[in-house]
Amino acid sequence: MKIILKTFLILVLVVSASLAQGFKVKATGEQTFNFEDKYKRNQASFFSSTPLEDITGISNDVKGKVTFNVSDIKTLKGSISISAASLKTGIDLRDEHLKSASWLDATNFPDITFVIKKVGDVKVSGDNKLEAKVTGDFSVHGVTKEVVADVTMTYLDASEQTKQKAPGDLLGVQAKFNIVLSDYDIDNMIVGQKVADNIEINANIFGSNAL
Amino acid sequence: MNIKQKIVLLTAAVLLIGIFIVWQASGGVVLSKDGIWVKKEMTELDKSLGLEPALEFQKKFVLGLLPHTAVISGVVVFISAGLFFVFKTKKNKETK
Repeated sequence: MKIILKTFLILVLVVSASLAQGFKVKATGEQTFNFEDKYKRNQASFFSSTPLEDITGISNDVKGKVTFNVSDIKTLKGSISISAASLKTGIDLRDEHLKSASWLDATNFPDITFVIKKVGDVKVSGDNKLEAKVTGDFSVHGVTKEVVADVTMTYLDASEQTKQKAPGDLLGVQAKFNIVLSDYDIDNMIVGQKVADNIEINANIFGSNAL
Repeated sequence: MNIKQKIVLLTAAVLLIGIFIVWQASGGVVLSKDGIWVKKEMTELDKSLGLEPALEFQKKFVLGLLPHTAVISGVVVFISAGLFFVFKTKKNKETK
């Protein structure tokens, strides 16, 4: 009986280990990546359309940390945030309107945050490159809703080349998801223009495990 | 239409065409901008990290149709219409 149980246990461990998808890199175990780049090279943006013109807003004030076991990306946890006041759209008056109480209310809700809850549909799409659906809580304007982001993660071991950007191993992250403004109690008028209720959000960021 | 009115019309037309050309040369955008986003060149490392080209904000005024081009054109039309009327009145008085 004991032998059967042991064999079953080993089988379960082997199967779960083979199902775990992660990066085949030098580092082992849990790694934490910091996305706060002192040179502000990380960017998060939103895209919206209005009857007059499409609007792109960009922030370079990205902060946050994620932690995961390199051999299993499903262990991913952490959060990424930007400051609402740092968003720029190319028109100063519109930026002011964006920060105002009727829109993002940057004074009362200074951060826009994505908190990771779970990772699913993991696919290997290249050398140490994974694609996944990351479910998380997205908070803006004091309202939190669950969203699912399409995320691509690329892991690079520390090298002479990566040192030029930051010390340690680097993790490149590309994420995209959509939100509905009315879900977040945001008035979709901006300087007299009606903004589409559906907004696309993108992140184009890298983090280091030595920051 | 007297010669002065013709000059006013011609000047207004030239100014409006000029404003249109400047607006088109500025990119022909609908809204005036206080700054633009410029795509930064990607390094090999950025490509290896799977990143997209970053955008860099540059302070630069871009003339748009609204409000600047429309307001300037409106002022030109308003002044021209006024001058056209003034010159017409003067001619009528002269005729009397």
